[in-house]
Amino acid sequence: GLDVASYRERVRAMFYHAYEHYLESAFPYDELRPLTCDGQDTWGSFSLTLIDALDTLLILGNVSEFQRVVNVLQEGVDFDIDVNASVFETNIRVVGGLLSAHLLSRKAGVEVEAGWPCSGPLLRMAEEAARKLLPAFQTPTGMPYGTVNLLHGVNPGETPVTCTAGIGTFIVEFATLSHLTGDPVFEDVARKALKALWKNRSDIGLVGNHIDVITAKWVAQDAGIGAGVDSYFEYLVKGAILLQDKELMSMFLEYNKAIKNYTKFDDWYLWVQMYKGTVSMPVFQSLEAYWPGLQSLIGDVDNAMRTFLNYYTVWKQFGGLPEFYNIPQGYTVDKREGYPLRPELIESAMYLYRATRDPTLLELGRDAVESIEKISKVDCGFATIKDLRDHRLDNRMESFFLAETIKYLYLLFDPDNFIHNDGSDFDVVVTPFGECVLSAGGYIFNTEAHPIDPAALHCCRKRKEEQWEVEDLMREFYSRKKTKKFTLKRAPDRGEGENAKDPEDVSSEKAGEKRNSKKSSHSLLSCPSQSFNSKLAVLGQVFLDNT
Amino acid sequence: SCSRAKDVTMPAKVPVNFFPPRSPVVDLFRGQLDHAEQLRQGSEIVLYFFYAPWCGHSIAARGEIERVASSLSDQVLFVAVNCWWNQGKCRKQKHFFYFPVIHLYHRSFGPIEYKGPMSAVYIEKFVRRVMTPLLYISSRSKLLDFLSNYEPGVVGFFEFNASPQPPGYLTFFTSALHSLKKDYLGTIRFGVVTDKRVAEEISLVHSGSVYLHRHANTSLIYPKDIMNFTAENICKWALENREMLIRWLRPHGGKSLLLNNELKKGPALLIFIPYNPLEEIHPLLDEITKVALEYHKCNKSQAAEPHLQHVGDSDSPAFDPSVPDAHLQFSQTFPIAKYPCCNTVVLPQWHSISRTHNVCELCVNQTLGVKPNKVHVPRCNFLEIEAALDSFYLQEHTFFQVISNTIECSNFLSFYSPFSYYTACCRTVNRHFLSFIGSEKTIFQTPKVAFSSHGKKDNTQFSIPHIEDRNCFIPDLNISSTNITGLSCRTNKTLNLYLLDSNLFWIYAERLGASRSTHLKEFAAIVDLKEEVHYVLDQNQSLVGPTLENFIKNFSVLYSPLKRHLVDDPSVHSHEEHTVTEVTTNTFHETVFLSAKNVLLLYYAQWCGFCASLNHIFIQLARLLPPDSFTVARIDVTRNDLPWEFMTDRLPTILFFPHQRKEQSVKFPEDFSVNLPNLLKFILHHSSHSSSEPCTKECLQKESLLQQGHISHLEREIQRLRSEISALHQAHDQLEAQLSEARREEQRLQQQKHTLEKQHKTLQLHNEQLQATYDQKNQELLEMAEKLQELADASENLLKENALLRILVAARGGKLQSKDEIKEPLQSEQTLSEDNDISLSTAPAALEEKRIDNIDTIETEHNENRTE
Repeated sequence: GLDVASYRERVRAMFYHAYEHYLESAFPYDELRPLTCDGQDTWGSFSLTLIDALDTLLILGNVSEFQRVVNVLQEGVDFDIDVNASVFETNIRVVGGLLSAHLLSRKAGVEVEAGWPCSGPLLRMAEEAARKLLPAFQTPTGMPYGTVNLLHGVNPGETPVTCTAGIGTFIVEFATLSHLTGDPVFEDVARKALKALWKNRSDIGLVGNHIDVITAKWVAQDAGIGAGVDSYFEYLVKGAILLQDKELMSMFLEYNKAIKNYTKFDDWYLWVQMYKGTVSMPVFQSLEAYWPGLQSLIGDVDNAMRTFLNYYTVWKQFGGLPEFYNIPQGYTVDKREGYPLRPELIESAMYLYRATRDPTLLELGRDAVESIEKISKVDCGFATIKDLRDHRLDNRMESFFLAETIKYLYLLFDPDNFIHNDGSDFDVVVTPFGECVLSAGGYIFNTEAHPIDPAALHCCRKRKEEQWEVEDLMREFYSRKKTKKFTLKRAPDRGEGENAKDPEDVSSEKAGEKRNSKKSSHSLLSCPSQSFNSKLAVLGQVFLDNT
Repeated sequence: SCSRAKDVTMPAKVPVNFFPPRSPVVDLFRGQLDHAEQLRQGSEIVLYFFYAPWCGHSIAARGEIERVASSLSDQVLFVAVNCWWNQGKCRKQKHFFYFPVIHLYHRSFGPIEYKGPMSAVYIEKFVRRVMTPLLYISSRSKLLDFLSNYEPGVVGFFEFNASPQPPGYLTFFTSALHSLKKDYLGTIRFGVVTDKRVAEEISLVHSGSVYLHRHANTSLIYPKDIMNFTAENICKWALENREMLIRWLRPHGGKSLLLNNELKKGPALLIFIPYNPLEEIHPLLDEITKVALEYHKCNKSQAAEPHLQHVGDSDSPAFDPSVPDAHLQFSQTFPIAKYPCCNTVVLPQWHSISRTHNVCELCVNQTLGVKPNKVHVPRCNFLEIEAALDSFYLQEHTFFQVISNTIECSNFLSFYSPFSYYTACCRTVNRHFLSFIGSEKTIFQTPKVAFSSHGKKDNTQFSIPHIEDRNCFIPDLNISSTNITGLSCRTNKTLNLYLLDSNLFWIYAERLGASRSTHLKEFAAIVDLKEEVHYVLDQNQSLVGPTLENFIKNFSVLYSPLKRHLVDDPSVHSHEEHTVTEVTTNTFHETVFLSAKNVLLLYYAQWCGFCASLNHIFIQLARLLPPDSFTVARIDVTRNDLPWEFMTDRLPTILFFPHQRKEQSVKFPEDFSVNLPNLLKFILHHSSHSSSEPCTKECLQKESLLQQGHISHLEREIQRLRSEISALHQAHDQLEAQLSEARREEQRLQQQKHTLEKQHKTLQLHNEQLQATYDQKNQELLEMAEKLQELADASENLLKENALLRILVAARGGKLQSKDEIKEPLQSEQTLSEDNDISLSTAPAALEEKRIDNIDTIETEHNENRTE
């Protein structure tokens, strides 16, 4: 087999090679330019690479550097700047990065405030950054502009055309912010934007690539799962998991049906016209490679594996994934031959490895380490591959290389990392709002690979009423006479999706609660169990018709 | 930042050596394909290894290729070509979708692509096959050896004494090479016979004929008159008509439906053995092959072919003494006639839960049942046993009643023949004693019974129920081996047999429940995809022919004694104490049903996002509930199989097993959100209502226990509240500190404000002063201007006076001229005064300019003041 430990150490060395050169040559600029050994601002002026790489430091176990950087950021980063920033990128990289660093800071040995995780300097920074984005959401539709000036709000004359992902990729960070700070405004704007997209889907249930946020007219009508749309679908699922929200899940399941119907061919996903469903581009995009990972989160592991294996063949052909790959021609697409060291395929490999332990997934990790080291390592860091056909390099190292690519690679080779905690370990934290169980696993990665602890969302503000209720119930446990009859209150059902009836109800409930079991249907918030043949679905073997 | 570096790019690094410099592999790392072609001219066998330097698979295969090269470099040329370098010839001419690619050439024949596992032994085996695609068969014994192999063999007969190059020989040779292209595993073996007498063994008479050997079906001779005698046709014919009694499965690692397609055909017996293709002999494989042959040997007449006996019961040990025959021992200890033909039958019980069974020993005697068409030693024929069973089951009801530990025997007549009868000796045993039956065989005294054969042959529709062989745990006895003969044709649960190399594919065995601790990587399992079950051959038994046969037979019978194998997660250590109890297949029954507690069980999978995000809720629940009466448990159903009745099709699923009513489990309704209050209500609703009973001493005791639990709970609660209070205090202190900090800050700001105000005042004062001076200056300037005006006026007066004076002078001059016209010096005086005149007239203009300048400067000064 493959020596997992040695690859893990190689990934660690890759991280420090890039990280140290960033600090040395590029900080406080956003990104390192590896060919010229200097820095540049790309998405604002936030020392972006440092914010993005912060939680990777902890995942690699470097507690002291994490603590140092937390201090550096607190002193050095200022959001009161006259900069036009992408609402989407600022959210996923800056807000997401700061939130996850805030939630992990206790684990990293940072001295936290008494109110943690409901307060803290990093949380305040995240909130400040997020507030700078709020003006973008002031549109008739509730869908945000793509760009906002951090000082002045939306610039007059700003284009109202935003990509779908730029509208639907907020719920994870914003809901977390709202739950931690108690200010509902963030979650509200994020939900409103999601609903606006849902409302504007086509008759056949697809969404396009770009939309006018004022008129709600679709400007680019290509529907697919990749660039421009990707993280919208991702956040429907992750939002549903994080918030136990049936409505978001039912939206995703509807989209999933349409995607399967119209865009899926032979385990590839193509681009189609959103109203007619006709194929517009038979290409695979590097950004689409997140899809198998997402499928595995909701239990569609065998489809995920089949698609993953398709994507892996492209990697084997080039040593990376081109931005566009023409499937029928089996080659790159003109002007889209680059590979900026994107993480998506490795991300999927990590999720799938959790589910299947298939050594093929470790092989992809090995291939990624070998390729990136052989092709893109330069004296000053790791350079974007400008053209996969000849492996020419570009003078850029995107911040997601340290935030995502390295993180997922390391986690793939480190099955015992605390991030993979299956719930056997946990921390108990006493806050002014009560006692919380935290770090019990189930971390939700935002689309920039910043992990969010779902337990933290249940820790602040809303908890008091629930706690009193629990206390009452506990008293009941110890009283000899059961005084009350307990019936479950129906949860506010947000889902619109019609639930299929579950034929096999394992329960043998008594006549008393037939009322409940009668409408029993399988929950939207659940995964199917794996089929029998999944035992043998490793080393490239796939099985048909087990739906 | 500067834009200078924006368009900086860098070409790919220049390739370097991929193989170490002293390697036996020629490394053309600049992709010199033309050079590679040249190298090929000088060598009979060439292996090309096309690689990409960045490719993980190429890097992993590099060492394997080196290993092969070091053992074969004297006969084979190994050339590695970098087929990625975009300035190399190879990249320009070849278009590969993956790396590495291995091509072999046998002189001009090629390329033959190698598609097998990237492991040195497999590659070497393949290279050797390319080197000698035809096996020379010189003697009868070699022929028998060749044909007895489990892999299909093709034999060509060519007489070389007639001509040095008999017609068709080259075609046959090429077809052998050609087969390697199609069939990369090399499962079809090609041999050539040159001796006429040897050829006669397989009834080949004419030189140039080709023979495909088959074990279970009739062997074939290549139909020259129907198909053209070409290399491709021979190869195709052999591939189409070959017999696959047992197949190697070698998934190539890419996306493939291999297992899907094979397992969809029906139940499959997967046998995992470590396999080294380079080894000359494979005793274990031979044994398995023998089982496979027996299993598929449907047509009795085929059995008469002499060479078939070579593998198993080689009654002619003189054959090929050079090969130490591993299975010689069997054949010598084969005194079948001494043993009566018996079979152990396990009767099914009406209650499946019952752990006892009636076991009967059913015997027929063969001494009288010699079949005229069989030349070999009389065997315990499966058909005969089957016939006996038919009769036996007609009387089955009489044996159900036997519930005793002593053996009771009875004779009964055959249903088919009035002249034969059987003996059945039965007793009742516990189920787990079944495994010891074999060793207790002395108990069964088999009386000799007259028996005559009957002619029942085809009864495939008749299933043979519950045969439990008595020898299942004594592998060195061969009695049972006869029973499997031709079983594949008679059972409706036909098995397909497959081999997997456990050096490469052990992961599948692990998935099916092979123990991870075992050093010996041998494992057998029957997988039934349709029924979603699999059975495992007990790993405590060694994997040998008889155990396999028993395994197959046990599967084939109607009431199979095999139990669905439940895979258990070995990584969970039950002794570890967790807040939430981790349940596995093995601990399920104990934790859930045997414990005297209420059990809340969560079915989960680590990969399911909806499960993982509930972890904290279940941990909280487990911390809340009194541990002496409640267990909060969970089971990872991806890694732990459960009996059918406890399986679930959605995750997470939450079941509650109330104490004392464990069989009445309740499912947490799926349309309720999973949170702490809901779970508590659910548990409260379903946990036992003991309060209705009148209170006895026992009940009081229970009550006190309960209240003690309550007390400790409350104590914990107080503890918790205390810590919460201290947290609040901390937060309070922190706020206090922040507040005082803020106050200090405010004060500081206030002070700052004061000083700023002062500064402001002084500035204002200053401003006023400046204004005053400005006004003053302005005034002065105005005065100045007035003065200047006066001066200008004065100068104008002067000018006028000057003009008057000139006129006067001129008038005087005229008078003087008229008076004395001769006086010269007066004239020059006049010119001088004219000069004076000019300088006077320019002066006022200059003054004017100067004044404007002055005003300008004052104005700018004023402006500056304001901006300050």
